[in-house]
Amino acid sequence: MWAYIIRRVLATIPVMAFVALFVFSLLYLAPGDPAAVIAGDQATPDDVERIRASLGLDRPYLVRFGEWVFRILQGDLGTSIFTNLPVGHMIQQRIEPTLSLMIVTLILAVSIAIPMGVVAAWKQGTWIDRAVMGFAVLSFSVPVFVVGYLLAYIFALELDWLPVQGYTPFSEGFFPWMENLVLPATALGGVYIALIARITRATMLEVLQQDYIRTARAKGAGQGSILFVHALKNASVPIVTVIGIGIALLIGGAVVTESVFAIPGLGRLTVDAILRRDYPVIQGVVLLFSFVYVLVNLGIDLLYTFLDPRIRY
Amino acid sequence: MNPVAIPPGLAIAEPMPDVLPPVSARRGLIGFLRRYPTIAIGGGLLLAMLFVAVFAPFLWTKDPTSLAPALRTREPGAEFWFGSDMLGRDVYSRVLYGARVSLLVGFSVALFASAIGLAIGLFSGFIRLADSIVMRIMDGMMSIPPILLAIALMALTRGSVQNVILAITIAEIPRVTRLVRGVVLSLREQPYVDAAVASGTGTFMIMWRHILPNTLAPLTVQATYICAAAMITEAILSFIGAGTPPIIPSWGNIMAEGRALWQVKPYIVFFPAVFLAVTVLAVNLLGDGLRDSIDPRLAKSL
Repeated sequence: MWAYIIRRVLATIPVMAFVALFVFSLLYLAPGDPAAVIAGDQATPDDVERIRASLGLDRPYLVRFGEWVFRILQGDLGTSIFTNLPVGHMIQQRIEPTLSLMIVTLILAVSIAIPMGVVAAWKQGTWIDRAVMGFAVLSFSVPVFVVGYLLAYIFALELDWLPVQGYTPFSEGFFPWMENLVLPATALGGVYIALIARITRATMLEVLQQDYIRTARAKGAGQGSILFVHALKNASVPIVTVIGIGIALLIGGAVVTESVFAIPGLGRLTVDAILRRDYPVIQGVVLLFSFVYVLVNLGIDLLYTFLDPRIRY
Repeated sequence: MNPVAIPPGLAIAEPMPDVLPPVSARRGLIGFLRRYPTIAIGGGLLLAMLFVAVFAPFLWTKDPTSLAPALRTREPGAEFWFGSDMLGRDVYSRVLYGARVSLLVGFSVALFASAIGLAIGLFSGFIRLADSIVMRIMDGMMSIPPILLAIALMALTRGSVQNVILAITIAEIPRVTRLVRGVVLSLREQPYVDAAVASGTGTFMIMWRHILPNTLAPLTVQATYICAAAMITEAILSFIGAGTPPIIPSWGNIMAEGRALWQVKPYIVFFPAVFLAVTVLAVNLLGDGLRDSIDPRLAKSL
């Protein structure tokens, strides 16, 4: 098992290296000349050349990449072109809302989607099953910002139950925090719920046909315990995999959801950075999100060895 | 049939009556569509949207970019069927013309991503040396969430429909490559491929004749899902201002422009949203139907 864990951890290195190379190339290929910008309008070509040399921008691609990676490893993500603040600092300021939104969405989605998928598999072919599957197709088709506006229109504007927009930090209390997150999390969770419910149903259908389920039924186990203990436990590996892969949907969706609900998080930061062409910030956010995504999926892969003792690599 | 000589003393039994009532099996397109209603519904809706996109100028539209500041933010009514936006442009016309961008992006991305992914997947599935390198690159690309990857690529270039197509295509290629490679890896173990190798067929011919045709069915299904995803991604990119340039009416752009006013004039966001959702739903239904028709076994579980 330890050999597997070490091999799996080592396997993320080329992936991370690719991500780093891609993100670095983003800044390298970005239009505009930072040296010319810093030198200003009055500068002579010689001045620009001197600044370029002092910034190290005249050195070869791989040398600059090496230096960049070295700085990243020290936690230095560069400086924003627009605000002149360190990118790491800007990300730190914006991370709480995004993290809150993702965690609430994750909990909400998993706690709705898994029972949905289990019941759909149990009642296969009935209207319940068809309703769940119909909901899934619908969720895949309606973009997150459309759901967001629809929810905000109904529950915030018409019914006035929840705030339309904004974010309250967790430090100001659980309920105000939650109040602002319910609608965005529901909007963001739609696709994710559909994804998890579908894989849960598919895996459960397979598991429910196994002999040990018949055995459990024969020994008199209740329907609930058969579904949620005997079957779900054995269906957990593909479900957990999809939960991990689906984090990508959450990350992509958060960028949009934060725009709809005016949440001052990383998504909002990304959108602002794109509109201002603030490449160091775009670079930092893409790097952070990708590394989180890789690490989450690494963690899930390692979790398997504990979830399912049959898995031996 | 030749008449058979019946030996004396034997009699032929009367033919048994048919136990099953005769079924007139429906064949052809109608029968196919009846068996897979989702293909009929999805395909029908998609054709309708295609009609709207192609014939937008003749469907009682005005110039979608003509400004009329005096007539801004009119409610939907006889003059402006879907209302007018804050610059007095006719939302109905803009939404109809917006179908062009969405469908163009969806179809182009599905086509290009499938073609390129197919080529890379075949290459990587057949040449072991290339496989590990190609798949590491694909893993790396897949570890960047696709929307973020498209956003990052769009940040490098000017906003234009071509660049949007290119960015989304690049973001979708790894998934196609994985699918094709998986099919290739399982097919190359098949006895008929061994037989082809044994009879001296060249690698290229094996790929072309024996492997490629078998990847097309799952690839077609995947292509419809890519088409749906691409239309959503285009709308998202345009919505956050990193996609189709604002001068071109696309559903994402119309919604982005309606965003500031959505609390008082929700219809500006509402109409493009409904068109987008219906179109994507149509493509998804088509994909589900195609998947079911290709693999009935899978249909029961998924």
